[in-house]
Amino acid sequence: MFSRKMIGLGAIAAMSISSTMVFANDTPINGTVQSRCVIQTDTAGTYANPNAYTLTTSPTDGGELAVIRFDVSLADAYYAQITAPSSFSSSPNLPDVVTWTGDTVVQTVSDSTGMSAYESSKVEIGMMDRYDLTATGSTWFKTSSVAAMGGNKAFAGGDYTAIVVAECIAQ
Amino acid sequence: MRIMKYIIASFIITSVASAHEMVPTYPKISGSYVEGLQKTTMTMFNKRMDVEYYEIGVFTEEWKPIPFVSQYKVWKIPYLSTVSFDIFIRDQDAKKVTYICSQSKLKKENTKRTAVSSRICSRVKKVGEE
Repeated sequence: MFSRKMIGLGAIAAMSISSTMVFANDTPINGTVQSRCVIQTDTAGTYANPNAYTLTTSPTDGGELAVIRFDVSLADAYYAQITAPSSFSSSPNLPDVVTWTGDTVVQTVSDSTGMSAYESSKVEIGMMDRYDLTATGSTWFKTSSVAAMGGNKAFAGGDYTAIVVAECIAQ
Repeated sequence: MRIMKYIIASFIITSVASAHEMVPTYPKISGSYVEGLQKTTMTMFNKRMDVEYYEIGVFTEEWKPIPFVSQYKVWKIPYLSTVSFDIFIRDQDAKKVTYICSQSKLKKENTKRTAVSSRICSRVKKVGEE
């Protein structure tokens, strides 16, 4: 009787040891995280036509600002450069010279401490705004654009398209 | 239930966003199997539903274009696809290379309003740079 009990206990111990041995294999999960910049177009933007000679993305006039999001996974590795349009990429015939104005500002940041100086330390060259992305995370930029026809002449009916260029340049 | 609705709504809103990415950020140019040419490999991912084509460019530090060879200069990258490609540069130009860029190419029929052209540039670090 005793020896049977001993044999049973021994078998259980052997099974538990063998099962431990089976599950003791190391299974590594390998992965590489590369520093990267991702440009996301959240809103392409829309022109409104509040009067005959103006096209504007201003929301108060019924337009929509272009919103672009930059995601970076490495601090101090990238510049964000956003250039507001200075010409139409496609349009009907234009009766006069168009005057362009545009600006880009930081809309939202994912790290309010590390990214708080983005707007104040940006560099503006003409229609281009350059930001030093000094922190990891996401930054949303909004770009406005206004096109005014010279001599207060009216824009002809049709589709007008202008392009905002968003660049992420490694430092 | 109300919280669930907000979660689902926020997912739908974020999933509409479209993205463009290119790695590595700091590529290295090294010797290739072709004599007189050096090579680097880049990888692009297209998450922009409105864009299918991306143009490659190689530039000096002063943004002057440098001649290069790749299978295509304008790559067709379908939505949610990844493409890896080799860029070959002549030995005498390899030291001048600073930026390797990819820029989205917008189709005329896709741009009914203000469009966003995205451009990502990787930087080839010179000897001595961190």
